[in-house]
Amino acid sequence: MTRTLVVVGHGMVGHRLVDRLRSLDTSGDWRFVVLAEEAHPAYNRMALSSYLTGRTRNDLALADRAFLDDPRVDLRLACPAVSADRGARTVLTAHGEHVPYDALVLATGSRPFVPPVPGRDAGHCFVYRTFDDLDGIRRAARRGLPAVVVGGGLLGLEAAHGLSRLGMRPHVVESAPHPMPTQLDAGAARVLHRGATELGLDLRCRTAVASIEAHPEGTVGAVRLTDGTVLDCALLVFAAGVRPRDELAAALGLERGDRGGIVVDEYCRTTDERIWAVGECAAVQGRCHGLVAPGYRMADTVARRLAGHPVEAVGVPDTSTELKLLGVHVATFGTTDPAAGRAVEIVFAEDTTRYAKVFLQHDTGSLLGGVLAGDTGSRAELGPLVGRRPPAHFERLLLP
Amino acid sequence: MSGILVVGDGPAAHRLAERLRGHGHTGPLTVLGAEPAHHRPLLTDVVAGRLPAEAVRLPPLPDTRVSTGTVVTGIDRARHEVRARQGGTETVHSYDTLVLATGARPVVPDIVGATGGDGHLAAGVTTLRTASDCARITGETVVVLGGGPLGVETASALAARGTDTTLICAHPHPLHERLGETCAALLTETLEQAGVTMLGGRTVVRRTPDRVLLDDGTNLRADTLVLCTGAAPDVRLARAAGLRVRTGIVVDDRLRTSDPHIHALGDCAELNGRAPGGVDTAWAQADALAAILTGHATVHRPTPTVFRLRTRFADVSCVGDPADFDRPGARTVTLTDQANRRHARLALRDEHLVAAVLFGVPEAIAALGIAHRYGRPVPSDLLGLLLGPPARPAPVGSETDEDALVCLCNNVRRPALVKAWQSGARTVTALAGATRATTGCGGCGPLVARLCDDWEHEARPAPERAR
Ligand SMILES: Cc1cc2nc3c(=O)[nH]c(=O)nc-3n(C[C@H](O)[C@H](O)[C@H](O)COP(=O)(O)OP(=O)(O)OC[C@H]3O[C@@H](n4cnc5c(N)ncnc54)[C@H](O)[C@@H]3O)c2cc1C
Ligand SMILES: Cc1cc2nc3c(=O)[nH]c(=O)nc-3n(C[C@H](O)[C@H](O)[C@H](O)COP(=O)(O)OP(=O)(O)OC[C@H]3O[C@@H](n4cnc5c(N)ncnc54)[C@H](O)[C@@H]3O)c2cc1C
Repeated sequence: MTRTLVVVGHGMVGHRLVDRLRSLDTSGDWRFVVLAEEAHPAYNRMALSSYLTGRTRNDLALADRAFLDDPRVDLRLACPAVSADRGARTVLTAHGEHVPYDALVLATGSRPFVPPVPGRDAGHCFVYRTFDDLDGIRRAARRGLPAVVVGGGLLGLEAAHGLSRLGMRPHVVESAPHPMPTQLDAGAARVLHRGATELGLDLRCRTAVASIEAHPEGTVGAVRLTDGTVLDCALLVFAAGVRPRDELAAALGLERGDRGGIVVDEYCRTTDERIWAVGECAAVQGRCHGLVAPGYRMADTVARRLAGHPVEAVGVPDTSTELKLLGVHVATFGTTDPAAGRAVEIVFAEDTTRYAKVFLQHDTGSLLGGVLAGDTGSRAELGPLVGRRPPAHFERLLLP
Repeated sequence: MSGILVVGDGPAAHRLAERLRGHGHTGPLTVLGAEPAHHRPLLTDVVAGRLPAEAVRLPPLPDTRVSTGTVVTGIDRARHEVRARQGGTETVHSYDTLVLATGARPVVPDIVGATGGDGHLAAGVTTLRTASDCARITGETVVVLGGGPLGVETASALAARGTDTTLICAHPHPLHERLGETCAALLTETLEQAGVTMLGGRTVVRRTPDRVLLDDGTNLRADTLVLCTGAAPDVRLARAAGLRVRTGIVVDDRLRTSDPHIHALGDCAELNGRAPGGVDTAWAQADALAAILTGHATVHRPTPTVFRLRTRFADVSCVGDPADFDRPGARTVTLTDQANRRHARLALRDEHLVAAVLFGVPEAIAALGIAHRYGRPVPSDLLGLLLGPPARPAPVGSETDEDALVCLCNNVRRPALVKAWQSGARTVTALAGATRATTGCGGCGPLVARLCDDWEHEARPAPERAR
């Protein structure tokens, strides 16, 4: 007897899960109903910026023909789930259908956080997460005009770079003392700041957007910052972080994490043994992860479990990241926030052109992780050294 | 041979006189000193009770007329004479070459109640410059004012002898500018653990007998208040004689003042716009001046010195200038190990060390100090040097290899000590006399003491062999 897996969300992680289980499920036990809010099948969201500069939807598609033509897969585009009933084991779609499930996976991702500033509903104010968002940005962009990106994190810098490649003159507003505050310390951020400036981005830290002022026709015209500055602005992008999309938790009576997210155990299972959550919407032991690598690990774990294979706990995910700005290399690898006082911290730096910080286990001297900025060794070269004592030519690897 | 007259009898004068004779100066050589010659870096050991006061006296000089208790009061440059007072009598001394080695005087800050009506320090208040100052530090509760090396060393010495000690400094941490925030904070932590009460970001504004009042309103008991608030070159004679003076007595690369017959060196001299002070500088200048005055050299080229904090509680040393860390083109390496209380900050240019601040990494100090002084490339595995091998107990004595440098200040290697031992120098003092080891910053004192111990045990026939 076949069982039905309903997956809510056809994003990067939801797609990975279905694709995995399809290949693991050699005896054809499962059929899949995938409810997708977006009108497009899953695509590589990480490469979204390249869509601004000429790559097509097809280039970024994750679902191949074999997937789309698979009779076991019922992919319903532009058909979001709006509610669910645990007792009846059904999911209600926006079209009013009740879709029954044997197992339910929530893979709803995150939504961009839009800070509650006055005027944020003005025209030409965008978020930066989907093809649709980028279509809007591309239509509104005007060469030579100033734009504002709210948020100087990985995403904000990437968005600003995208805007500058569309010919706009982006300002980036970050409330922390330096860009990418989650990943970088002040030293690495100085290198980034300089590189970003050379790319034509105007970084403004330690200040925030106080209000957005619109032209009479309704589109954004200026942005007022808390430090009093007024920036002319023809297009605005919010990149001020994301919040897990955990709305369905309420209908399902599932617990939500302190900072949002659907609470799951280290195998991504909720307290209901038929319901799972993976990707950015999952709070694994209370913590959400905004990167694709941990999401893929979750997808693999759940796929193996549903296929009846032995599984390992998701564990502590690799949170290494790399900023994708042309000409500015900034990356982290391994652990970059070891428990206070338990690690030896070593910084190799040269002016504001390069900076490498590494952490070593204080007793064994083995490498825990690090931060790289500028003309340093790459994440690919250094990542594999994690867990070992660094070699004698370590400094050469870090600052080649 | 012309006569050389030296004013002041500190380490600079002492070393100069010794070296002049060594270089074959046969003419008259006279040293006029207000007080007996002291090796001041050991004063804090006297404070700690580790050394008797006599131990800081420098040995008598051969073939030199030393007139102790003689204060020079004026220079007559036209007549090549100085006037002096010894006890009640005025004396006049002529010179062909005059050398000013008048050193530095403690700076006394403006604190209500710290000085008496006559301008002298009140009872219960002292600076630390001479052996007799050590005896002025009395009582159970002592407050030390000053966040420089001397303040830290004095407070450490007092804590080591069991005195209830408070160190007050203007910056949040002592040696803040020299060490930088992280390292200075580690120092505060370490001193606190050693029992010193640390009060950063404050100063003393008023003193009453047995108490001090701080600028933030804190009122503390203080049987003695020790002022370690810096020293300034003693330029009084030079200024009165019309010589060029800025911070110190300005000298050229021949250690000559603006009068070609008058030289200056040590703490009182300013060379290349700097008057850094310190015994290493004083000695290097004395060596150079002796060579210059005897025709063995023409100029003095200063070599960089190592600063090493003299406290048993922490191994702290620096080379170079803190400003070198921020100069463009420098590569920096910074290591912070809170768990093991280690910190190192290096500024490099290519493979050369420009500046370093080191805390708790004694193995690295000698290697980096030498690399800096002689401009040699630093080892390529800097991390290995700084971190050392993974923590494991080292058997006593094993970490010194046969040719290891023991005394960085005087460049004494282990073989020199072995030789001295074999020719009969069997105590630390005797080894120091024979090799000069331990007489610089004193940082190698414990190591020399241990070597001494080891050798003594080796020398004693073991019971088995006696059989
Ligand atoms: C521009 C950009 C660059 C990025 N770069 C990187 C990078 O370099 N490295 C990295 O690791 N990560 C990067 N990320 C993050 C990465 O894309 C996400 O971590 C990853 O997409 C998360 O996958 P997900 O499936 O959990 O969520 P998503 O990919 O967001 O997919 C969730 C999907 O669920 C849909 N959905 C939500 N609610 C419902 C509902 N009720 N019913 C039906 N469908 C629903 C959403 O519309 C969405 O399509 C980047 C993100 C962006 C936007
Ligand atoms: C407590 C203490 C600890 C120290 N620790 C260290 C250390 O660890 N490392 C380090 O490198 N340095 C240290 N120093 C500094 C070091 O002692 C000086 O750099 C060194 O003594 C300088 O030698 P000098 O001969 O130039 O001057 P001084 O030692 O100051 O000697 C000058 C002498 O000249 C005499 N004099 C001055 N004017 C006249 C005059 N008109 N007539 C006659 N005599 C006169 C003075 O009375 C004095 O005896 C320390 C200093 C002190 C006070």
